[in-house]
Amino acid sequence: MSANRWQLLGFILLAAVVAAPVLVDSKFILHMVTLIFFYVAMTSAWNIPVFGGKMSLGHAAFFGIGGYTGAILYVKFGVSPWIGLVAGVAMSLLGGVIMTLPLLRLRGPFFTLASIAFAEVLRMIAIDWRSLTNGSVGLNIPFKPGWANLTFQSGLPFYFISLILAAAVVFVSYRLRHSALGFHLRASASNDEAAQALGVDTRRAHFIGLLWSSGLTGLIGVFYVFFIYVVEPNTMFSIPLFSLQPALNGIIGGIGTIWGPVIGAVIMTPLGEYLRFYLGTIQQGLNFVVYGVVLIVTVNFIPGGIVSLLARLKPSKGSNGPGSPSGAKEVR
Amino acid sequence: MALLQVKNLTKRFGGLTAVKQVSFDIQPGEIVGLIGPNGAGKTTLFNLISGILNPEDGEIILDGRPIKQLSPARRSLAGLGRTFQIVRPFTMTVLENVMVPLLARDPHMGKAREEGMQVLTLLRLDHLADAQPDSLTLAYRKRIEVARALATRPKLLMLDEVLAGLNPTEISENLPIIRQVHERGVTIFIIEHLMDALMAVSQRVLVMDQGVLIANGSPQEVTSNECVIKAYLGEETPTC
Amino acid sequence: MELIFQVLVSGLLIGGVYALISIGLNLIFGVVRIINFAHGDVLMLAMYATFWLNKGFGMDPYLSALLVLPAMFFFGVLLQRVIVQPIQEASSNMQIFATVALSLILQNLALIFWKGDFRTIQTSYAMSTLEVMNIIISVPRLVAFLVALVSILSLFSFLKHTFVGKALRAIVEDNTVARLMGIKVERLYLLAFGLGAAFTALGGILLIPFSSVYPTVGVPFTLIAFIVVVLGGLGSMSGTFMAGLFIGVVETFGGTYVSPALKEALYFGIFILVLLVRPQGLFGKGKGTEEIGLK
Repeated sequence: MSANRWQLLGFILLAAVVAAPVLVDSKFILHMVTLIFFYVAMTSAWNIPVFGGKMSLGHAAFFGIGGYTGAILYVKFGVSPWIGLVAGVAMSLLGGVIMTLPLLRLRGPFFTLASIAFAEVLRMIAIDWRSLTNGSVGLNIPFKPGWANLTFQSGLPFYFISLILAAAVVFVSYRLRHSALGFHLRASASNDEAAQALGVDTRRAHFIGLLWSSGLTGLIGVFYVFFIYVVEPNTMFSIPLFSLQPALNGIIGGIGTIWGPVIGAVIMTPLGEYLRFYLGTIQQGLNFVVYGVVLIVTVNFIPGGIVSLLARLKPSKGSNGPGSPSGAKEVR
Repeated sequence: MALLQVKNLTKRFGGLTAVKQVSFDIQPGEIVGLIGPNGAGKTTLFNLISGILNPEDGEIILDGRPIKQLSPARRSLAGLGRTFQIVRPFTMTVLENVMVPLLARDPHMGKAREEGMQVLTLLRLDHLADAQPDSLTLAYRKRIEVARALATRPKLLMLDEVLAGLNPTEISENLPIIRQVHERGVTIFIIEHLMDALMAVSQRVLVMDQGVLIANGSPQEVTSNECVIKAYLGEETPTC
Repeated sequence: MELIFQVLVSGLLIGGVYALISIGLNLIFGVVRIINFAHGDVLMLAMYATFWLNKGFGMDPYLSALLVLPAMFFFGVLLQRVIVQPIQEASSNMQIFATVALSLILQNLALIFWKGDFRTIQTSYAMSTLEVMNIIISVPRLVAFLVALVSILSLFSFLKHTFVGKALRAIVEDNTVARLMGIKVERLYLLAFGLGAAFTALGGILLIPFSSVYPTVGVPFTLIAFIVVVLGGLGSMSGTFMAGLFIGVVETFGGTYVSPALKEALYFGIFILVLLVRPQGLFGKGKGTEEIGLK
């Protein structure tokens, strides 16, 4: 099939996913599609610093910070979730500043390692600071349905909310990539020294990219918390769920591109849930083994992800289209 | 006032002194060449001036402003441009490569695109605007390197071996570009191994050997300088 | 007053084991230049192996080292050959994900085969203590420290005096030049990984008498190892040793006087502090800091 046919197929698939809950009346499908949208948003947000070659595995930290901020404000202080959204973003931006200022100077793998440590530390703090977070017991969002409380009886409102959220994040990601910031991130990922010699303040570029990423991730975290009602440290700061998963989605879909995260999330989210339910019940942990193998195979054979496979079908004209994979090959 | 003043610049790597008390001036509007045998410290000197390395001693003054404490990016913004010996264009189209430094000075995309095309046209690269650099020949990639540096609107442009690795035809195509850039008012400081090319284009030549500046004069003066000849022949130059 | 010395001693003892585990990482990273996220999981495997030898054959953990260490050495070699070598030329970001995937696989295979329960070994000496100048010293911890010390010194000597050791150090210093000098770099990668794995495994074996095994037991050690290596300065064996002791002491003091659960926060904090204040590490020779990106 020619590249255009693949693109068409992709769009049809995407439309099918989006329309599914409308066409089929099933709570399961509604929940699944909503989850897919959440992950599209999360993966796209994670992907922003990847334009510059920085692959953080600490995003669970921002997710958790955002989510807990919204939850604590609502449950303990009766603050409206809508204000909680703003507060959540502010707190996760702060988290972003704390994480990146000292760590940005680290190259590739050390940065990733340090980012994991950051998320782990926050998880421990969430468990220990019982007076604030209720520790391992966690917080429960009381069920008082209504738009003011961002709580609903039916799954439909969150379907729409998550769809809009996903579209918004993908849009922001697109605009950033095609802005001066995007150029500078890509230049830095390609050759940081040369970029600096041309006058680009690469540290600042990465910093801003990470701030966007952390703020958006925190925002998603707040919404998520009102979607699942239960807030506890090992879930909200879960590295496999909110650090590894978006990264996995991004790598499989195609890191550093716009559609890569979308494709990755759309494919991997249902697959992940399927693996978790079927393999996970046969044998706990089997699904993660499969994840691991998929990841190793992808890294070895298709580091550019699905998008790069599709790009190979296009005659090499050199135009960038929705974005050519950056960060897969040139980052060292 | 000199555009670039370098005073007693010294760089040590452990026990090795790569650049030793080097001092010279470059006046606005000059084309100055830098030659010397391998290992003389030429690229190290460039790295010191552009900010990739920090000197142990000495001063660097650009257009009256001391730049020793500035980061490489800041020095670029202050008007210092440089190309690298091993060209590595960014993984993006030729036009986008040139837009990177433009966007660092003015984030407007449309303007950057326009100005980028102007630079490409000047260097006769406009027909390759949408090409990917790694599909192009070395000669073109070297030109892209110059285009990129030019887009920084430098007062002083340092060219590090822009002609290395090119065949004679390519050299005869790229060499006039250096003159063209110069004619637009850019002061040029150029390292080049190819003697003929360098002598043909430079007004003044600096010669380094083992970290020391051993000659500073016109191409004729320098080529007949005994010390220079000895250096290239590999002899010790204790009296120079 | 006495408590301080007690805590200090405990800290130093565990620090020795941390140093041992971190030296394994220092070797692997220094030579092969790969960030191995599965480092702690090698420890976990060694601990499980020791546990099962004890459970199945009643073998004393220290004795089982004779079997486990060579096995883990080969495991390390296998990892290098099968997982790492194919991606050696890939971007370092991709390398991370491969080792993260490996870590995930190892931890979950352990979960599948051996379940999540905490396993402990009972030995006659697990509880025995010595008393020196009013300070109580746990015997297994003392043994751990001494064995760690001896192993590190042996490695030091090996690197300094043998030809292979010098070849390894050459690769750490400049891979390309070493290759040009005729050193068979690929083979030495295998050796480095094997040795690194063996040292880490030894750390695990030494921990068994006073520590339980479970699938994720290795996770904090990966982090500790990296912190120690960065703190001590890449390429500096003595630096890693000192840093290991330092972290051990800090952790024990933190656990006693602040809060046992905030240990990770404490050493992450130290990590950040070092990065900000002295990136080449406390005792580092500055070698390899460019690799990390700390100039």
